[in-house]
Amino acid sequence: MINPLRRLFHVIGEQFMSLAFDVGGICLMTWRIFVALSPPRLDGPETWKNLYNVGVKSFPIVVVTAIFTGAIMVLQAGLYVKQYGADGLLGWGAGFSVLREVGPIMIGLMFSGRVGANNTAELGTMKVTEQIDALRALAINPLHYLVLPRFLAMILMLFLLVVIGDLTALVGGAVTSQYLLGVDTELFYWSLVTYIHLEDFTSGLAKAAAFGFAIGVISCHFGMTVSGGAVGVGRAVNNSVVASAIAIFVLDYFITFVIQ
Amino acid sequence: MRLASKRKSGDPMIVVDHVTKFYHGETVLDDVCLELGEGTNLGLIGPGGAGKSLLLKTIAGLVKPDRGSVYVDGHNVTRMKETELAELRFDIGMLFQNYALFDFMDVHGNVGFPLRQVGGYTEEQIAARVSELLSLVSLPNIGHQYPNELSGGMKKRVAFCRAVATRPPILFYDDPTMGLDPVTSSKIFIHLRRTQQAGGTTAVTVSHDIGGIADICDKFAMLDHGRLIFHGTPEEIERSDVRLVKQFWQGVSDD
Repeated sequence: MINPLRRLFHVIGEQFMSLAFDVGGICLMTWRIFVALSPPRLDGPETWKNLYNVGVKSFPIVVVTAIFTGAIMVLQAGLYVKQYGADGLLGWGAGFSVLREVGPIMIGLMFSGRVGANNTAELGTMKVTEQIDALRALAINPLHYLVLPRFLAMILMLFLLVVIGDLTALVGGAVTSQYLLGVDTELFYWSLVTYIHLEDFTSGLAKAAAFGFAIGVISCHFGMTVSGGAVGVGRAVNNSVVASAIAIFVLDYFITFVIQ
Repeated sequence: MRLASKRKSGDPMIVVDHVTKFYHGETVLDDVCLELGEGTNLGLIGPGGAGKSLLLKTIAGLVKPDRGSVYVDGHNVTRMKETELAELRFDIGMLFQNYALFDFMDVHGNVGFPLRQVGGYTEEQIAARVSELLSLVSLPNIGHQYPNELSGGMKKRVAFCRAVATRPPILFYDDPTMGLDPVTSSKIFIHLRRTQQAGGTTAVTVSHDIGGIADICDKFAMLDHGRLIFHGTPEEIERSDVRLVKQFWQGVSDD
């Protein structure tokens, strides 16, 4: 019979080694990407394909998420706005929270769930079915052919999707304030442009680029290091989504801290 | 060869020098030594799990051994950087055991892919070569289909076409006839022989189809539990006293 204490240490050690492998692997993947980017050698058709898959196909889900995010922000604030008669602050309240925090985080999490998970599953399946080895056997560096286009597409497209998402969320908020709270759209707009500064918008975009970077590196790392067939792919997708979500919140904290 | 040869005259094309590989604490390749001259076709045989595919991947530079070295055309592939290996791999064709077809490309894209990578071919030339190869394996009208629409045997034939598309001087076949009917298997073996005879191709063929590879290979090597237990000519394998080699060659068991 195995000593329970020994077993406990074994489990802790195994978890620690697994964590160390992934943290080290993510750092190594970041380094490799930077090395591969100097100078960048991208496959044109693969890059365009990924920009389409990552960006255009995420557009509907981002728009729907953003509309409801803006609407929820207004509904939450609406109770107090009505109570204190502060209708003129509604646009500012919704705009500030959406542009600085809720927009990038919500869209980042949706993006991680849709694009990051898909990327890990795709690369992982290619790994376990020897397609990555086949690329190498055909003198193609998988980092240049598969990882770089996805990584760059994720940064660029999450940035653009947050721009679109922010605007859509504000439209959702304005419509909700008009029809559910009776706050005039013009007043909402006035409050928004008067109290919101450009930094509120750009800090959200800085977060979007950082989130795209993190999701790109993490999803590619977990995809490229899959082992163990279909079960391994499932585990990698799960780990990728969890690690991306953690990275989003940790990066959000540090970027907010640095900006403020 | 695209990369300048580092071999001296008369040196073997492929040298496996005391290669050992560990996996999860197990020795999966145990001090394997092999030499293969230019234009030779080596048949790599052995029971399942003996390390044949791993050895093939190690020779192709896809897996780094923990000990020992592999030389291909005089180049130490175990010490080459990925960029240098890429140059060498333009001269190597590889057929994977599980096809490894790119599922994001149709059959035409898969077979034409190495030709596009090598460069120097027009789209018309690529289309003609793809059609020629697909006809050779009796799959003339499937260029527009995707790998997930094909049967295992069809995938294997497409993977074979992709491996030989650029007419590389070095070829690695991992079970080229697995899952194929006898007629198609025979066609594949005939093509392997023709490829070798026409271009002096150096090849390593992993197969369980002893009858098939007996006709096309000049030399045989047998692995068991990662150890090389036989290396020699067809005549030598016929006369071998090693029980497992005899059993494997004659297709008989102890029972």
